[in-house]
Amino acid sequence: MHRHPPVSDTAPAAVVVEDLHKRFGELEVLKGVSLTAREGDVITLIGSSGSGKSTLLRCINMLEIPDDGRIVIGGEAIGLKKIRNGRVTVPADARQVERMRTRLGMVFQSFNLWTHMTILQNVIEAPVHVLGVPKAEAVDRARKLLDKVGILSKADSYPIQLSGGQQQRAAIARALAMQPKVMLFDEPTSALDPELVGEVLRVIRQLADEGSTMILVTHEMGFAREVASKVVFLHQGRIEEEGAPDKVLTNPDSDRVRQFLSRHLSGAA
Amino acid sequence: MLELLSFGPNGWGGQLLTGLAMTIAVSVSSFALGILFGSAGAAAKLSHSLVLNGIAEIYTTVVRGVPELLVIYLLFFGGSGMIMAVAGVFGYEGYIEINAFSIGVAAVGLISGAYSTEVIRGAVQSVPVGQIEAARACGMSRWLILRRVLVPQTLRYALPGLGNVWQLTLKDTALISVTALAEIMRVAHVAAGSTRQPFLFYTTAAVLYLLLTTVSTALFERAERHANRGVRRA
Repeated sequence: MHRHPPVSDTAPAAVVVEDLHKRFGELEVLKGVSLTAREGDVITLIGSSGSGKSTLLRCINMLEIPDDGRIVIGGEAIGLKKIRNGRVTVPADARQVERMRTRLGMVFQSFNLWTHMTILQNVIEAPVHVLGVPKAEAVDRARKLLDKVGILSKADSYPIQLSGGQQQRAAIARALAMQPKVMLFDEPTSALDPELVGEVLRVIRQLADEGSTMILVTHEMGFAREVASKVVFLHQGRIEEEGAPDKVLTNPDSDRVRQFLSRHLSGAA
Repeated sequence: MLELLSFGPNGWGGQLLTGLAMTIAVSVSSFALGILFGSAGAAAKLSHSLVLNGIAEIYTTVVRGVPELLVIYLLFFGGSGMIMAVAGVFGYEGYIEINAFSIGVAAVGLISGAYSTEVIRGAVQSVPVGQIEAARACGMSRWLILRRVLVPQTLRYALPGLGNVWQLTLKDTALISVTALAEIMRVAHVAAGSTRQPFLFYTTAAVLYLLLTTVSTALFERAERHANRGVRRA
């Protein structure tokens, strides 16, 4: 069976998360999570709903602002500051956050393609307007990416004219167009009809095989086992267990992980 | 009788045509001013500042709650006084008269803006949050998100409502005939009085307004089709 090759402990760290805390009102969703993704790592975050795995992913690119802790992207720590007597945390420098985001490609559960633009326009939008890539060059690169994810023929269609699987592949192409250092996937197949899941997983697997650094929130246990270099199980805002997929997904130390896996056996084949 | 509508020496055709142009000029200017007020009002209502929320709430409540004719009177009779009072603070003591066109545009723009505020606020809230998140995740700045994603998406939801506001604005310009500005209604009124043919001229005015509303409705439909590209086509 296909397995991700182990990533050396000495590979440079692409994303470092240190002691991350996040509260939504009274509810503390993340209670001190630390995580390192090295270059070439494919980390899958698993856990029940409400375990904080999506929040963790969204904190990495500051779609959610953590209350405490540190996030370091490619060696650069994202500056945070406290306002209103320390009750609210905000980015110290919006520009820095924007610059960091250009290095992190995000793929959402609900695709979030811009509905007023064609697929091609979606893919070239940020390269042209954020990175300043000349349009002809961006179009050229976008067409190659759309070809890679298998929807070049849909370049001039609008998102609504595509199936969910095609939309998600377009969203992956849009994220790749920024040539990110790390790709973040937030349950990329959860909104798809079962028969469309495969085509999206195939694209993600291809990226993993090419050595892309990725952090992936997923419920597809079988897929996690195949593509991941490391599996991280979250429970109630803390890391319950982490390690190589064969260890965590077949012979976990934690009873909670064991129980979780027995409920998700269908996907763990 | 129809020669009264002609462009000859005894006809009112020329003046009616000038009135039509004036109505268009006032309507377009007021509507544009209203979009400006409406955008500011919507931004204020959606902001987290209680002060801005309050100011916008007072604006829409007062302007929408007072008869439009009264807003025009207040601005017409109070406008010069207010501006002179402000000029006085800066040491200017002379008399300042504002022309009827500016007063009219300001008054109708104020009214139009109050209605646009609600339309634009609702439209902004209709934009799915994922559309904005996707833009943030790409590293877009706030300004870029506004220009490239929020405004085009908002327009899609706002256009039907704004089309309505446009029609109201167009018809509200008839009220500023009380300031003697020579738009359609004023010309019709004067012509009706001097020829003693009120029915003829008011009917003509009605036809002219209908012409304007019909043409502009068609234009708004085209704009809506454009804004909705990628939505209804599927």
